[in-house]
Amino acid sequence: MKLAGLKSVENAHDESVWATTWVPATETRPALLMTGSLDETVKLWGSDELVLERTNTGHSLGVSSVAAHPSGLIGASASLDSFVRVFDVDTNATIATLESPPSEVWQLRFNPEGSTLAVAGGGSASITLWDTATWGLVATLPIPRPEGPKPSDKSGSKKFVLSVAWSPDGRRLACGSMDGTISVFDVARAKFLHHLEGHFMPVRSLVYSPVEPRLLFSASDDAHVHMYDSEKKSLVGAMSGHASWVLSLDVSPDGQALATGSSDRTVRLWDLNMRAAVQTMSNHTDQVWGVAFRPPGGTGVRSGRLASVSDDKSISLYDYS
Amino acid sequence: MACVYIPVQNSEEEVRVALDMLPRDAADILDILKAEQAPLDLWLIIAREYFKQGKVEQFRQILEEGSGPEIDEYYSDVRYERIAILNALGAYYSYLGKIETKQREKEEHFILATQYYNKASRIDMHEPSTWVGKGQLLLAKGDVEQAFAAFKIVLDGDRDNVPALLGQACVEFNRGRYSESLELYKRALIVHPRCPAAVRLGIGLCRYKLGQFDKARQAFARVLQLDPENAEALVALAITDLHTNEAAGIRKGMEKMQRAFEIYPYCAMALNYLANHFFFTGQHFLVEQLTETALAVTNHGPTKAHSYYNLARSYHSKGDYEKAGLYYMASVKEINKPYEFIFPYYGLGQVQLKLGDLRSAQSNFDKVLEIYPDNCETLKALGHIYVQLGQTEKAQEFMRKATKIDPRDSQAFFELGELLISSDTGAALDAFKTARSLLKKGGQEVPIELLNNIGVLHFERGEFELAEQSFKEALGDGVWLPFIEGSEKFQEIDASASVLQYKDRQLFHRLEDSGRHVELPWNKVTPLFNLARLQEQLHNAETASILYRLILYKYPDYVDAYLRLAAIAKARNNVQLSIELVHDALKVNDKCPNALSMLGELELKNDDWVKAKETFRAASDATDGKDSYATLSLGNWNYFAAIRNEKRNPKLEATHLEKAKELYTRVLLQHPANLYAADGAGVVLAEKGHFDVSKDIFTQVQEAASGNIFVQMPDVWINLAHVYFAQGNFSLAVKMYQNCLRKFYYNTDSQILLYLARTYYEAEQWQDCKKTLLRAIHLAPSNYTLRFDAGVTLQKFSASTLQKTKKTADEVRSTIAELENAVRLFSQLSAASNLHFHGFDEKKIDTHIDYCKNVLAAAKPHLEAAIREEQQIRQRQEVARQHALAEEASRKAEEQRKFQLERRKQEDELKRVRQQEEHFQRIKEQWKSSTPGSKRRERSEIDDEEGGNSEKKKRKGGKKRKKDKSSKSRYETEEAEADMMDDQEDVEDEDANLNYREPTGQNDQDDAEENAHDPLAAAGLEDSDAEDDMAAPSSTTGRRRRAWSESDDDEPLERQPLSRENSPELRDSDEEVKDEGRRPNGLDAAEDED
Repeated sequence: MKLAGLKSVENAHDESVWATTWVPATETRPALLMTGSLDETVKLWGSDELVLERTNTGHSLGVSSVAAHPSGLIGASASLDSFVRVFDVDTNATIATLESPPSEVWQLRFNPEGSTLAVAGGGSASITLWDTATWGLVATLPIPRPEGPKPSDKSGSKKFVLSVAWSPDGRRLACGSMDGTISVFDVARAKFLHHLEGHFMPVRSLVYSPVEPRLLFSASDDAHVHMYDSEKKSLVGAMSGHASWVLSLDVSPDGQALATGSSDRTVRLWDLNMRAAVQTMSNHTDQVWGVAFRPPGGTGVRSGRLASVSDDKSISLYDYS
Repeated sequence: MACVYIPVQNSEEEVRVALDMLPRDAADILDILKAEQAPLDLWLIIAREYFKQGKVEQFRQILEEGSGPEIDEYYSDVRYERIAILNALGAYYSYLGKIETKQREKEEHFILATQYYNKASRIDMHEPSTWVGKGQLLLAKGDVEQAFAAFKIVLDGDRDNVPALLGQACVEFNRGRYSESLELYKRALIVHPRCPAAVRLGIGLCRYKLGQFDKARQAFARVLQLDPENAEALVALAITDLHTNEAAGIRKGMEKMQRAFEIYPYCAMALNYLANHFFFTGQHFLVEQLTETALAVTNHGPTKAHSYYNLARSYHSKGDYEKAGLYYMASVKEINKPYEFIFPYYGLGQVQLKLGDLRSAQSNFDKVLEIYPDNCETLKALGHIYVQLGQTEKAQEFMRKATKIDPRDSQAFFELGELLISSDTGAALDAFKTARSLLKKGGQEVPIELLNNIGVLHFERGEFELAEQSFKEALGDGVWLPFIEGSEKFQEIDASASVLQYKDRQLFHRLEDSGRHVELPWNKVTPLFNLARLQEQLHNAETASILYRLILYKYPDYVDAYLRLAAIAKARNNVQLSIELVHDALKVNDKCPNALSMLGELELKNDDWVKAKETFRAASDATDGKDSYATLSLGNWNYFAAIRNEKRNPKLEATHLEKAKELYTRVLLQHPANLYAADGAGVVLAEKGHFDVSKDIFTQVQEAASGNIFVQMPDVWINLAHVYFAQGNFSLAVKMYQNCLRKFYYNTDSQILLYLARTYYEAEQWQDCKKTLLRAIHLAPSNYTLRFDAGVTLQKFSASTLQKTKKTADEVRSTIAELENAVRLFSQLSAASNLHFHGFDEKKIDTHIDYCKNVLAAAKPHLEAAIREEQQIRQRQEVARQHALAEEASRKAEEQRKFQLERRKQEDELKRVRQQEEHFQRIKEQWKSSTPGSKRRERSEIDDEEGGNSEKKKRKGGKKRKKDKSSKSRYETEEAEADMMDDQEDVEDEDANLNYREPTGQNDQDDAEENAHDPLAAAGLEDSDAEDDMAAPSSTTGRRRRAWSESDDDEPLERQPLSRENSPELRDSDEEVKDEGRRPNGLDAAEDED
């Protein structure tokens, strides 16, 4: 497996690019790349040439996360002012604006069926679930506070929820917190199941393997990537190699490779069979905040694509094979 | 059968005396001789015969009788024979004296000999044989020059006098003038071709000394031909054989030597050589016997030196350094001229080196070097001594010379490398590499230490791949390989157990259970440790942890491995595990200062202040206060303690600072090059306001810290930036913070971003400030203080924009947007506050919200005004444009009309147009000047003069120090240092309150108001004015004011401790370097509890 640089857009945004995701292809158009930035805009990019399709405004204080509905029709973006904006990808018409004070909003993820949007709720130590039909709040999944005499002081911020991930079957939801713990929920019963321990620094990105429904990958500020069996509560592997925080990760659609983006300015490709880094891309000049594999599907697009976005304001696109 | 005939007096008869049948009692013969008054030559012949038969007593008896006073009287006219007898006696005593070893007897013999010769001289002072005898005597006494004179007298009279020739030859030989000596021997041989073999021996020796070995051999061979029993010639030949340095030659030589020994067992020379031989064959017992005999039989200094040397060498090789030293010493004592026999000096040097007497050893090696300036071994030995004496440069000089002289001596390169490690790693690496390639070329195995050292040096230079290669080469094949290559799979473990992952050594047990042999030879532990360390550096913490665990599995006492594992755990913020690992290390050695220091760090991290202090104390005590790290940790502890308390206690603060300073200074006294101590001292100075000094210190530390991968000192960058900041040099401060972030933190440190934001805030770069804070929030989402700060920044930005006299509608619009953001931020904080996410006072936040909302409300008119204004301007412009068009049209019409008539008038016309345009311009200006009017109106609406003044007073009272400072630092930048100090204290205060300090200068607003205050107060007070100006909407003033001053007091967020010192990486470099060379643990945990 290998990555080959295809295209880089310098100054894709006016400021640091903090989030990226692929909007799946629809019947009328191929997949698009969606990016969110400190410059308060969300941009959509088309084709391998990364042509700018549209610039969405309407956020304040920087866009921290973007998500795309599996249908490819709806997009969601979250900003530091704690609003989630849901919009029509092709028209930029606002569908809904979500907020659930006092929680902030961090990572957003639609479930695989597209019926629910999960939002990492920051200091509220919970995940909020929104119905994608009515855009009403379905549930709030709180992380149980650790037993102890003083639930106040710091423990609150320790369980600060940063990241969420759906299992490929949509039955499980995992979230990562500032203190490094990962919490796993049973979605159907809206019930907390257990913690996965091992990290002691913020877990900023989580992703399930698309081929093994129990296998969960976590990226942490401790420069490690962990592989968990989320059901057995066991640590399957730990991969080190990044020199600084691992900010984001994504598993390739074939489940064979993992891509990570790090503060050390690199994008790494890991062979999951060897559990070793096979390639390091250092084309970015600042922290790499997002990496995303393009989902399969769409008209006649078979080749794999990986996109990365960085504090250096640029977007890079790679061929994955 | 030889016989003599003693003539019988007064008859023709003779007494026949068979010389081989001389009576035992010499008195019988003497009777006959006396009775028959035999000629004196007969006396001499008979005496000589006795002598030849070894009957020395009889010989002496006859001659003494023959030289008695009676004889003198009776034979008074027989001069020659009398002289001959005296000379014979003289020669005899000379000989006795020569062979006598006891000094007193020796001298007695010589005195007797001298007496006889003198007596002979009295009979005839021109008799050559007497002079020859005297010469021999002087020679025996070692009085070479006088002997020379004696022989010369003889030779002047008869240049062919053989004995004199021989004597003189001997003299010349002893004077080292071998060619002259050779000439003399030759002449003797020409004059007397059938002279004894000994003459040829002399020739041989001369030739030998002259380096004509073949001719020497011929001469010795000839001697042996003539006299097969001549031991000396045998020895000489044997020596030449030995010196051929070929096995066959040596064997032949030894055979001859043995024969010489059999012929004459008391030849010291032969004994020495034999001893020498047996030394090499390792038969020390024989060596001792032979040399002891040799010592007993000879008196000859050089030979004795040789014997002692042999003996010393024998003991030396047996490891009995004391005895060896004594004998070397004895040997050296026998040597007058070191150049003749230098080996004992070398041996003595070696033994003294071994026994630790460096100075003496050095002087002995120096002597060797004088004679053999190019002797590698000596150069190396001296190099070693200088290392141990701490004179590294000299040591290097010697080692370099050694390597230059013998560029194939891998050992010398290795040692040179070790020497250079501390001073010049590049050169050291080159030396090691040369040693390695020499060894490889020679097909020898490269020692593990050498490879390890090469690896370490590459490591230090940041050449990680080369370092890895080298360590792997040192390690070779082993159980570690699959782990290094990653082919060994990670063992699945329970996630909750993974917390203690770095303590787990089960996997090795499992490996052994599965039949694999887990082996780790002791000499590979160090390279393995270093490799693990390298993996850590390459961020392969997992691999590193397995290797460390492997070391611990086999060597559970290896403290450094525990510490490294603890460091890895700490880097991953697994404090609990880290502490456990450190405790494991302490179980091995509860006094280990490194472990204690690290424990202290961890306790500090756990906010366990008292415990941490005790631990640091213990670490310091464990090393008698000599461990810089422990001392520095204590210093840091004090520093932290000084700035820790939010409500500062000035007294306590001063005590802690003083203590910190003392500790830093102590370290600096021990290690003047300790960067961390210097940094600490700089920090304390800066805290006290000596910015210029501290800046110098920081700059130097920063320079010194660059270029070593093990010294990472981001703190000093931050400190420098803080100093720039405190001195108002914002752009430099920004640069410094940014560089620090990029260089050391991959831009991930939100704290530095906060510093940066703070600087932008001061510099009034609102957008930069906002972006910076947003980045910081993004990095540290759970830090609500950052959100608060962002809100404050937006608020401040809006307020200042609204105060601008000129602003566009867009500006006002964006201001309003930012105000709305601020309100949102504050509201969120407010909503979150009841969930106890953060420690803010709800009321305070509410105050901010109210304020922002008020400003927001106040901004609406601004916006309307701005829009109105813009519209007006647009309208005017439109009117003006149309006016101009009309003008133009009429002018053109006029022109056309008048064109043909009055061309000359055209210029006047133009002038008029110009005037009209100027007029138009004036109108425009008038329009513009109406704008401030509206602004003023605006303000008067919101300004509450009364409130402003009372606020002023209050602040003047409560915050006087602060005001003083801000005015001073702004207006009196060239103040002397003394003032700086005062200022600085205030800076601290102010740092805590920075939020609300209004940068002066820009807000020149109400002239009257500004003039009302004296210049000193103005700057500071103005600041409150400004606040009041915008903050003054109405009745809530009082409450708000209270809230504000409160927030002034305990605002935690913008507090910027002037400097932040990370002790973690404190491990002093000096110590580290020191360890590197000898102990191959170059990279031990020691240096980096980071």
